[in-house]
Amino acid sequence: MSNYYNMPKLPTENSPKVEIFVDDKPVMVPGDTNLLEALKAVGIETPHVCYHPYLPVSGNCRQCLVEQEGPRGRMLVIACYTPVAPGMKIYTPASSARVKNARKATQEFMLVNHPLDCPICDKAGECTLQENYMEAGQNESRMRPEYGKNYHGNPAHQFIDAKGQLRGGKHVDLGPRVLLDEERCVQCDRCVRFMRSIAGSEQLQLAGRADHTYITTFPGEKLDHEYDLCVTDVCPVGAMTAKYFRFQKRVWLLSHTPTISMDDSLGANIWLDHADGHIYRVMPRCNPEVNRSWLSNTSRLAFQNFDKNRLPSMGVHKVTFGNGKIALVVGGTCTLEDLAALRMLKDSLGDRAEIFGGSLLKVGAPDGIAKSGDPVANRAGMKLLGFADVSEFMKRASEFESLVTVNADLFGEDPSAAKMLEKINCRVALSPFDDATVKEASIAIGVRHWSEVQGTMVNSLNILQKLNACPVCPDEALWTPYAALSYMAGKKFECASEAFKKAGEYAPVLAGLTYDAIKNTGKLLEGGNA
Amino acid sequence: MRVIKQKPMTWGERLYIFEALRGLFTTIKHAARGLFRYETLPTISYPEGQPEVRNTYRAKHRLMLRPDGTPRCVACGMCAAACPAHCIFIEATASDDPRIEKKVKRFDIDHLTCVFCGLCVEACPVDALRMDTKEIVFEHRTRDEFVATLETLTAWNPKDYPDDEQSQVAPGGTKNAEARKVWGMEVK
Amino acid sequence: MDIIESKTWVEWIITIAKFGFCFVPVLYILLLIPMERRGAGFMQDRQGPNRSYIKIPFFGKIRVFGYVQNMCDGTKLFFKEMFAPAGVNKVLYYVAPAIPFAIVFLSPCVIPWFGPMVFEWGGQTVRIAGSIVDSDVGVLLLFGFSSLSAYGAVLAGWASKSKYSFLGALRTSSMTISYEVCLGLSMMGVLLLAGSFNLTDIVTWQENHVWGIVAQPVAFFCFLIASIAETGRAPFDVAEGEPELVAGYHTEYGAMQFGLFYMGEYSHICINSFLIATLFLGGYSVPFVTTETMQAHMGGALAILCGVLAFLALAFLHMIYRYSRKLAASKQSNKLEILQEYKLYKIVAWLAAVVFIALGVCAWLFYNPANFIVNGIAVGSLATAVGTALIHLLVLVVKSIMFCWVWIWVRWTLPRFRYDHVMHLGWKIILNIALINLVVTAVIAKLVGGN
Repeated sequence: MSNYYNMPKLPTENSPKVEIFVDDKPVMVPGDTNLLEALKAVGIETPHVCYHPYLPVSGNCRQCLVEQEGPRGRMLVIACYTPVAPGMKIYTPASSARVKNARKATQEFMLVNHPLDCPICDKAGECTLQENYMEAGQNESRMRPEYGKNYHGNPAHQFIDAKGQLRGGKHVDLGPRVLLDEERCVQCDRCVRFMRSIAGSEQLQLAGRADHTYITTFPGEKLDHEYDLCVTDVCPVGAMTAKYFRFQKRVWLLSHTPTISMDDSLGANIWLDHADGHIYRVMPRCNPEVNRSWLSNTSRLAFQNFDKNRLPSMGVHKVTFGNGKIALVVGGTCTLEDLAALRMLKDSLGDRAEIFGGSLLKVGAPDGIAKSGDPVANRAGMKLLGFADVSEFMKRASEFESLVTVNADLFGEDPSAAKMLEKINCRVALSPFDDATVKEASIAIGVRHWSEVQGTMVNSLNILQKLNACPVCPDEALWTPYAALSYMAGKKFECASEAFKKAGEYAPVLAGLTYDAIKNTGKLLEGGNA
Repeated sequence: MRVIKQKPMTWGERLYIFEALRGLFTTIKHAARGLFRYETLPTISYPEGQPEVRNTYRAKHRLMLRPDGTPRCVACGMCAAACPAHCIFIEATASDDPRIEKKVKRFDIDHLTCVFCGLCVEACPVDALRMDTKEIVFEHRTRDEFVATLETLTAWNPKDYPDDEQSQVAPGGTKNAEARKVWGMEVK
Repeated sequence: MDIIESKTWVEWIITIAKFGFCFVPVLYILLLIPMERRGAGFMQDRQGPNRSYIKIPFFGKIRVFGYVQNMCDGTKLFFKEMFAPAGVNKVLYYVAPAIPFAIVFLSPCVIPWFGPMVFEWGGQTVRIAGSIVDSDVGVLLLFGFSSLSAYGAVLAGWASKSKYSFLGALRTSSMTISYEVCLGLSMMGVLLLAGSFNLTDIVTWQENHVWGIVAQPVAFFCFLIASIAETGRAPFDVAEGEPELVAGYHTEYGAMQFGLFYMGEYSHICINSFLIATLFLGGYSVPFVTTETMQAHMGGALAILCGVLAFLALAFLHMIYRYSRKLAASKQSNKLEILQEYKLYKIVAWLAAVVFIALGVCAWLFYNPANFIVNGIAVGSLATAVGTALIHLLVLVVKSIMFCWVWIWVRWTLPRFRYDHVMHLGWKIILNIALINLVVTAVIAKLVGGN
């Protein structure tokens, strides 16, 4: 079999509808996709292990078996690799005992040499094998206890455990961020396909053959890639585990907050998984338009610094500025609400105030997976609300007497700019972190981090996306940036939707929108100027 | 469903007076027993007289130990998940022993919240948690002392459980030496 | 002055001393509460309250078989804050508990505590009645008093401004009134036989003929049930049925106000026991022995009395020794303390036994009324009269305690009736039985007695 598989065709809203017969009942399904997706579109879930909508189809797990009426009678086919054809007759376990038995047998085979260490497995609770077992398996164990399980895999990693049994490699160090458990691996090769087709760097391989197959890197090489933590997401079992999350929390104890990663202008959709006031991990949230199911390590691991070096809450008061010109500079992590509030502050200060947005960091190139390379997440939003770029401000920095920075660490981003900025007398900094700009500021005000606020942002694809507040704020008394800014402007926004309405006044394309109108996957802004 | 029909009362029973007298006879029997055979009363004069606690009684918890003295607990959190009172707090960490992946770093049972239902014991996949200590008295001066930590949960003596094979495997037990031989098998 | 001179000083002393009997019900409360608590405990195979103690030197913690608990509870109730809930009628609220308790002191006045004392003093025969007020309508007076206690309940329920209290008061009053009728009618047979309302006459009739319980067994049962119901105790305590009324008319009361209701209830039991003992069990009369016989052999009678008391002391000693042995063999950690405590009881009981035996022997050998001469005045007949009174009193007390135990026994055995059942029982059953009994008694008395 070739190593190169085809990517699955996923149904879209424009897919042609064709009629197929599922369990002898006619249903209309998307016609340009595979059977698994088509069945899913009509609400029939098919258990699968190796299939992943954004990875090439390899069809090696045989878990998604269905029966198809063919010229030679009803035959078992894998749903993930069978294209939908009009009029085809499909039988699911609902009507076919054969499919049910076949799936159960597949499941049983998969579990033959899979260790039952769910209690210590970090994947337990979100494990595909567990789900499949409940849905398609439920079989009694036919293992003979005197023989035990038969773990193969890399012979170099085998050991004899405290009970005298031969075991496979339990925590093989694949790279700086990922550990491999060879016992748990079911050889679905999702990780291999991910590294090959998505990451574009073929660092993982299947070695050995038959049930001695195991995942490995090239000799002497380590798994090290900007997207290598995605293999822990695609891994259907607990074979690939991320070192940062290893044994940190059982996954069923985590609550999930859907939000947007604000460190890149693509605005990758993420889940913030939190429990008892701490974020434990960040998981990609599927958005076909933006980041699909991928997330870069930078965005994924950024949460580790969210609660470090934070400014405490302090009394927000109205700042009186001198007579000179005032520069209002926002950083990339500001939401549209913050921008609207800042613009309101500018209006209240009159003509002597000017608004700038952006960062002094370099803009990189998009990597085509889940990063655009631009560190200013809300650059499109800034353009929408009429913010000049911060480079403009740097050119004319000497004109200004006062500087208000919001989430913008100008001092930290470019130390060479510090000399110029120090000439500005009055420096007000609103920031969640005790960063270089705050240290240099004459007035510093602690505000909430973007993970703790509700808001919206416009990403580089001109999609308006929603952020949700994750209840992990270290200090409940902290104000949101838009509340602090609008309070300075004289009219405090009590909630984010108020600020969003204000943003609609400044940018007509946002007018009339509400948070409810923005779907989880965002809303494409037509006629925006980005 | 089984319907149990009550026998209709006889004429004498409905008259009440004879049944009442029967009841009076019963109570006077018991009263006489209390008066003349005081020591046969089933009530135990509690703090001075201690009831006999069987090892099936759900008493204070203990954590079972491996032959090398580490707790058997693998910090899977099944007990915490099963706990209806949410009184078990577990933190896990990677084990130093290469043969063991996960070990427990913090294992707290808040006995002020615990309802002693025993579901944690049922849930434990490695038989690490038991409630057979026969310790039924909880008296402490502060709330914190009611929280049993890893140290207190593992501080039990195998001599108190002479009939339990698993307890004898722990350090200090009669079967510790042979268990240690198996346990100390070389890592390949 | 005429009044004073109409009696000798001995007569005066005895007459005034009789007022001490007013406190008998209050003393009975002290007896009844531990009896009820520990009795209930034993019936339910419990131990009952036995933990409170007084610490004394050498013997250590003295618990007197749980009797100290009584004092603790009393002290607690006494020192608790008395308060009235908002919006109550203050005057009535505070007066109400006093009513049942005040009656406690009135009711004993008509009960004959002993037979009429007749003795020679100063050359003339002196006769002193056994009751404080030797009324010819003694029974009616007693019923009048006990009906008054319903006012306490009614006022308490009314003044408490609580629906539970009010309902409880309604039930109490209606039940008291209903069962007063049964009570009165069931007693009529005995009165008819004795031909008098005077309690002393009734007892004398019983002494001379036969006890009321034999002459009127049906009336006795009716009277017993009706008087249990009238005191409002289980199984007729619907007035304070916890499931529906919290605690009845004294729901809103606490501290000693509640204590007064509580004590009122217990003394009501005491009075009713005395009444039953008097009406149906021959009152103060000693069974099978007439007062004349007893007075003729006063020395022997006193000796038998001392013998009985000494037997009780010895029986107590037997129980203590027996239990000490059992305790010493047990594993109880405080057994040494208890054994030390028991030493005191052993000493007291041994002393009592020895004293009673000595007294009995003395009375047997040396009692002779002719020998009693003080300052040249022969007081032998007075001594005989006092001895008779003492024996009478003790006999009455024993009989009444027996009935008090019946109250407790019934309470901890029978479940509570429903309210309509209580009324049904009172008006449709007991009343009818009592009426029929009265008619039958009257007919038979007419046929047999002929007067």
